[in-house]
Amino acid sequence: MLRVTDLHAKVEEQEILKGVDLEVGAGEVHAVMGPNGSGKSTLAQVLAGKEDYEITAGSLELDGEDLQEMAPEERAHAGLFLAFQYPVEIPGVGNSYFLKAAVNANRKARGEPELDAMDFLKLLRERATLVDVDEALLRRPVNDGFSGGEKKRNEILQMAVLEPRLAVLDETDSGLDIDALKTVAAGVNALRAENRAFVVITHYQRLLNYIVPDHVHVLLDGRIVRSGGSELAHELEEKGYGGFDGARAEA
Amino acid sequence: MTSGADNRTGPYLELFAGRGAGGPVAARRQQAIERFEAAGFPGSRDEEWRQTNLGPILRARPVPAAGGALGEGGALPFLYPDCDRMVFVNGRYAPAASSPPEGVTAFSLADPEGAGSELLAEHLGASVDGRASCSADAGVHPFAALNTALFEDGVALGIPAGTALERPIQVLWLSAPSADAAAGDNGAPASIEVSFPRLLVVAGENSQAAVIETFAAADPAAGGYFVCPAAEFVCGAGSVVRHTRLQADAAGAFHLGFQHARLDRAAAFESSSLAFGGALVRNDTVALLDGEGADCTLDGLYVLAGSQFTGNHMRVEHRQPHTTSHQLYKGVLDGQARSVFNGRIYVHQAAQKTDAKQTNRNLLLSKAALANSNPQLEIFADDVRCTHGSTIGRLDEEALFYLRARGIGFEEAHGMLVHAFAREVTDKATFEPLRRDLEARLFASLNGGRSNGQGG
Repeated sequence: MLRVTDLHAKVEEQEILKGVDLEVGAGEVHAVMGPNGSGKSTLAQVLAGKEDYEITAGSLELDGEDLQEMAPEERAHAGLFLAFQYPVEIPGVGNSYFLKAAVNANRKARGEPELDAMDFLKLLRERATLVDVDEALLRRPVNDGFSGGEKKRNEILQMAVLEPRLAVLDETDSGLDIDALKTVAAGVNALRAENRAFVVITHYQRLLNYIVPDHVHVLLDGRIVRSGGSELAHELEEKGYGGFDGARAEA
Repeated sequence: MTSGADNRTGPYLELFAGRGAGGPVAARRQQAIERFEAAGFPGSRDEEWRQTNLGPILRARPVPAAGGALGEGGALPFLYPDCDRMVFVNGRYAPAASSPPEGVTAFSLADPEGAGSELLAEHLGASVDGRASCSADAGVHPFAALNTALFEDGVALGIPAGTALERPIQVLWLSAPSADAAAGDNGAPASIEVSFPRLLVVAGENSQAAVIETFAAADPAAGGYFVCPAAEFVCGAGSVVRHTRLQADAAGAFHLGFQHARLDRAAAFESSSLAFGGALVRNDTVALLDGEGADCTLDGLYVLAGSQFTGNHMRVEHRQPHTTSHQLYKGVLDGQARSVFNGRIYVHQAAQKTDAKQTNRNLLLSKAALANSNPQLEIFADDVRCTHGSTIGRLDEEALFYLRARGIGFEEAHGMLVHAFAREVTDKATFEPLRRDLEARLFASLNGGRSNGQGG
């Protein structure tokens, strides 16, 4: 589904990604772990099409389509979803209105009929229940004045409503208390499906107790230095990232 | 004054000379024209006016706008349902299109019976006094003085003490210039039709009223005209006066407006100024908080594109203790549009416990658009809370990316964010037909403006 090949990216003349290879198949959950500054968030932003980053080498493909050729909204239409590490506050735009606009923009781009207000409301309520989001959040402006936990839940709600084929979760666990973490994980697990893949980017192993990945990758200094099964996350928890310096040297 | 100024004021003095200054305010008219003559038009060194290019107006020879008769149909697109209304065409009352409110003193100033001449004698021009500019020394406001001297008609509303009006009163100022305004050599019209709409609202003690002023052209494609309105609000103790000023003039219009509010003890004055039209627009506002506990809210929105210019000049004077003022002015500028916000808050020594807040935010949609923001505080009391802030910025790129990452296309995402910015002001309108109209105008302005913008 997703194929990242020898990806190099820089921002303001500083190279952050130095040759990332990642292949994610349908139905799979991949965890990308790494310390601060390893390039995790850059990878997420580059996938979603943030223009601040310049891709200097390598390729990004979703279902064989070159993502680099696509605007951020076109990537969304193709089924890519990024749960932001720092969801943006948008005062003046109602959360529910925004979600409806997003759903219908995607439907329109895919040649599907747009949802009317009633059908959308039904979908929204159903998904809000699924990911345990209070309906009061839907009536407020997008992320405006939301707590950290509310913002992350709102990201998961958007994912549930938009039904992406590939969801990239960028440190969705950071700053969450254990209850919020469980809720977010439950939301993700509820959406796991044969035709849907997840890339869970995280600093800590904690989230992976609740979202059990099929594959774990360690990102260090802009490269994936090791890949393995879910046991690799536990190894990281015990040894820390320091233990992978040798691996990086070999890589 | 230089001889240049004499040349420019001459045609306006002639307009006055050609008209009898009778009626209950003859003396004030005479005084106003004398003050205007003495002060002349502002020059390029006048701090309050140096950023407003009056050239296109002052180069043209002013001609009184002809009295236009207009049926109900002509005004219809601008009228709101569930309103009492008074319609004026080229500054003259159009009774056929009007339905004045009952239970209040509402009449045309040109009414020879002068049903409320007492009201006029006591109030019209009395608080403006010809010396009410927004500048530091509150000198003569030349265009307010011109209006007092030259208005032909207008509306006076007296709301009796203790009366709360249930329906808003809409005052529609329609401009219908004749088509034959000749173009001059330098592109400016050799002559320009001018009207001087005048509004007086006197709210009695503990009364309540909402007044909606709409400035528009009968034909939106009308050529250049010059509308020079003045409005006075005398807010009695405990009164609540809501005022909306919708400026939707034709694209080529010049509009130099002045409004003045005096608030007595515990009075509340809420004014919202929405500017969409016109080529060269000024809106000067003076609010005097003259009684303990008086409270004023002054909001504004200007949505500009092409080469439009809009200036908002404010002077809020806190003269008594425990007075509050809140100002929120927002601007959206596209194309080569320019704006000026000059906000002056003046807190007198007696005005302890003043609470004043002033905010001006500008959103630039193109590289060539230019916004100027000059908040000024002058505080002579020591126990006050005064804050002011101004921003001039572009659309939030992070928010734009966020929306696009959810599948919303660039144009739609852009529009959502600009609307969200502007709606902070338009959403405050509580009268539903007005709020819907503002929404529609906002939508039309922004979508029209987008095509002139940088696009990508």
